Amino acid sequence: MRILLVEDDAPLAESIARALREEQFAVDVAADGETGAHLGSTETYAAAVLDLGLPKQDGLSVLRAWREQNRALPVLILTARYGWTEKVEGFKAGADDYLTKPFRVEELLMRIRALVRRAAGHAGPRIACGRLSYDAQLGAFEFDGMPLRLTSFEWRLLSCLILRKETVVERMTILEQLYEGDASVDSNSLEVIVGRLRRKIGAEMIETVRGRGYRLTAGEG
Amino acid sequence: MRPLASIRGRLLVSGAVFTVLAVTAAALTVQPALDRFVQRNLDTNLHTQITLLARAINPDGSIDPARIDEVGPFARHMGGWAWSITGPAGSLRSKTVERLDPSAPGARRTGRPPSDVDRRHAHDRRPSDRDAWRRRFRSGENESFYYRSLTVDTARGPVTISAGAPRFIRERMRDQGVRPLLLTLVVLGGGLLVAMLAQLELGLRPLRRLSQSLARVRAGEQLRIDGPQPAELRGVVAEVNALLDENEAALARARAHVSNLAHGLKTPLATLAVRLAEPGRDPDGALTALVAQIDGAIGHHLGRARAASPGAPGRPAIPVRERLQDLVAALARIHEACGVAAELDVPEDLRVTCDPQDFDEMVGNLLDNAWKWAAGRVWISGAREGARVRLYIDDDGPGLSEEAAVAAMVPGKRLDEQAQGHGFGLSIARELAELHNGGLTLARSPSGGLRAVLVLPHRSDTA
Repeated sequence: MRILLVEDDAPLAESIARALREEQFAVDVAADGETGAHLGSTETYAAAVLDLGLPKQDGLSVLRAWREQNRALPVLILTARYGWTEKVEGFKAGADDYLTKPFRVEELLMRIRALVRRAAGHAGPRIACGRLSYDAQLGAFEFDGMPLRLTSFEWRLLSCLILRKETVVERMTILEQLYEGDASVDSNSLEVIVGRLRRKIGAEMIETVRGRGYRLTAGEG
Repeated sequence: MRPLASIRGRLLVSGAVFTVLAVTAAALTVQPALDRFVQRNLDTNLHTQITLLARAINPDGSIDPARIDEVGPFARHMGGWAWSITGPAGSLRSKTVERLDPSAPGARRTGRPPSDVDRRHAHDRRPSDRDAWRRRFRSGENESFYYRSLTVDTARGPVTISAGAPRFIRERMRDQGVRPLLLTLVVLGGGLLVAMLAQLELGLRPLRRLSQSLARVRAGEQLRIDGPQPAELRGVVAEVNALLDENEAALARARAHVSNLAHGLKTPLATLAVRLAEPGRDPDGALTALVAQIDGAIGHHLGRARAASPGAPGRPAIPVRERLQDLVAALARIHEACGVAAELDVPEDLRVTCDPQDFDEMVGNLLDNAWKWAAGRVWISGAREGARVRLYIDDDGPGLSEEAAVAAMVPGKRLDEQAQGHGFGLSIARELAELHNGGLTLARSPSGGLRAVLVLPHRSDTA
């Protein structure tokens, strides 16, 4: 899962990015509104964390621009503007959630995970697929009721698949959620990661759909 | 109120004074003119009679009674007019004569110069005789009469012809002229005053409209003074509107400063909080609690600083229901995980006079609190009660004991360290409500949870 973080304060951006990566997310950081607006409208992200007071282009106008372009990515506004009028304005501009600074990191993480889950159409925080289950609140996988230990790439891939379980997820979509913007993408590495995951949860759960992508399935379909 | 303290009073007093002065001046100038007219009229009558009587005097000084002719007022013997002819051949007088004799005691000569009447009669004569003729007329007054007399030379000596009018007749004639004239002047003066009142009423109406318009601005029914204005008031209206604009701009500037300050403080605070969350940095959570405390204090004081000043005009009346719907929508998103259902029961046309941002701040904090504590439901209802609007925010949570409710209003007091937020929400809401001439009380909800009652003015006092 790749997150777009638009935040102009470098120390804060760095701290948040580190905390997100700690939780396996891939993170692209934009330091101003213009860059953020551009990334948000050209790349595919699982969610965006958007500051409001940004240089070059204000956060609200970035958000409005995305919504005008029909970009549906879930957006969490993270700002020092704590007034309720500003919150209402943020939601009216198309925000999905609003968090004021300072905040607790766990809360930010929970809210991002909830946004991604709801955007994928899951009402409850627990998503199960066969023997595999995903706690969308904590971002943790269990296999046969036991915690599943995953690397960052494995987690990004598996969370991407389980949110769209029983449907084919395109290779490109998966790659976009796997790598950060400035990383060099080696398409062969996707097969490597899938192979490692199959060893952990069973080869039959991840189907290869030739020429398209992969599907996570409980095997009943 | 002193009459000169109002424009109306000033105009009225000065107008009345000038009207009275003008009418008095008119009366004073008209009276001498009228006097002259009366005098001339009187002299004409007397001269005519004297001229007629002169015909009865023969050149030898004798008087021919058959040729005595009486005209005008002299013919009416009850009128008190009289004449006399005195000469060497004896004297003849009208039946009404009494003490007409200029030589009688009490008579005095007025020494009046020859009047126009004299001159007119002089014209009838040959030019050579004119001066002599004029010189021979004399006028005088005694107790009863104003008279004119003429001395004619005859062979036997001078004959004096006198004609007199009763003295009161002059006053009576003058009064007859003056009375209607004065009455007319009084009516004219009164008419002018009435016209002035009407003019004042008409002329000052725009001022009254302006004051009503200002009252509406203060009450929040309109934002600026609008509508057509007379040329004299346009400057004032433009200035007042500019002042309102400036006021609004000043509030916006102050809010921008506060917002910048909040941003400047909260961003590094956020960095600090995120760093403290990294493993091993703040094992017992004490530092994180400090961050929360700093944040709460910033929020509270900046919340006060950004509040609109309560007396500020140009405050719009807020449609409560619309504003609540927006806030409820925002809260439902923020607390989506709680799954709380909200019920909004507020009349469509309910309005309060309050700064919109302050309203959002008060109600937002109260709703936020309700959402945090609710088991599953939040009720929002409101109604107008006279000049006030009451908003009830109920939840089905655990509620608060009386002591806890009091403590909840104290800034910085957190009732539950586990619930998010920093314990400033209720105290900010209360302070803002009081700033806007309202109030906040906490009570037990019929549902068993907490009920927050927010009272706000329906309309600011326009007094």
